[in-house]
Amino acid sequence: MFTESELIEALRQRNPEAFSYLFETYSDKIYRLAMSLLGSEDEAEGIVQDSFLRLFEKLDQFEGRAKLGTWLYRVAYNASIDLLRKRRPVVPLLDEPDDEGLPVPVVYVDWCQAPETILASEEASLELERAIAQLPKRYRTVFILRDIEGLSTAETAEILSISVSAVKVQLHRARLMLREQLSAYFSERLSTKPKGLAQPKGLAQPKGVNL
Amino acid sequence: MKCEELLTYLSDYIDQNLDEELTEEAQNHLATCQNCRVVLDTTQQTIFLYRKQGTRNIPAGRRQRLFKQLETAFLEKIA
Repeated sequence: MFTESELIEALRQRNPEAFSYLFETYSDKIYRLAMSLLGSEDEAEGIVQDSFLRLFEKLDQFEGRAKLGTWLYRVAYNASIDLLRKRRPVVPLLDEPDDEGLPVPVVYVDWCQAPETILASEEASLELERAIAQLPKRYRTVFILRDIEGLSTAETAEILSISVSAVKVQLHRARLMLREQLSAYFSERLSTKPKGLAQPKGLAQPKGVNL
Repeated sequence: MKCEELLTYLSDYIDQNLDEELTEEAQNHLATCQNCRVVLDTTQQTIFLYRKQGTRNIPAGRRQRLFKQLETAFLEKIA
């Protein structure tokens, strides 16, 4: 185990243990982020490689204003975005305007107590992947960094170069969209009539509640 | 608190970012509104399932190759 400053110093000294520690700590995280954006194992591997190589080059100038992890995430995120732009230069990357309303829940079936055979099935796992792949990219990225990787709102904002409040809004929308998708899936699996299709009192706006 | 407000504050409630007063209002609403309770529980369960699933690592072969390539590059930088 290294503290942040010990790790930077040991990396500057080209300590092999420090490299192993760095690789073990961050390679999978960066790979997951790149995979979620690019959907290609080869490209995600390339992003991990380039991000680490850039860090090695910058080690002597690394001032510690950002944490190593935040710095790596940020480099990997920007490199992934660059790759996406090269792939589809005409399509704007930030695919939706930021003033949409909040997604209003439609399915009110409680599937939390569904049996493990349903919740942990291979099919459910694919459904989770399908649902997250359908999110707008920026919502997906925020959800991955905050809820899957467990980064703070401030770290996520720094990595994505957006405001803290934008992170919060996008995370909230991502969660509600995913909840809706999974609720539809699990309620069907539970063979429950989607009894929640009627709007509850107070949530009847068809287009959502503007934040 | 009404359902729309609860929905607006849901993530802040989950992340425990609400002040005491709003937390209490949210709790009071949740105690009486079954639909909002379901939305809260299923949102938390959604996060839980993704967290459980989201720990997929680089496939072993790729990982080993990457480690070797990067380790070599890292050690080559020794003056």
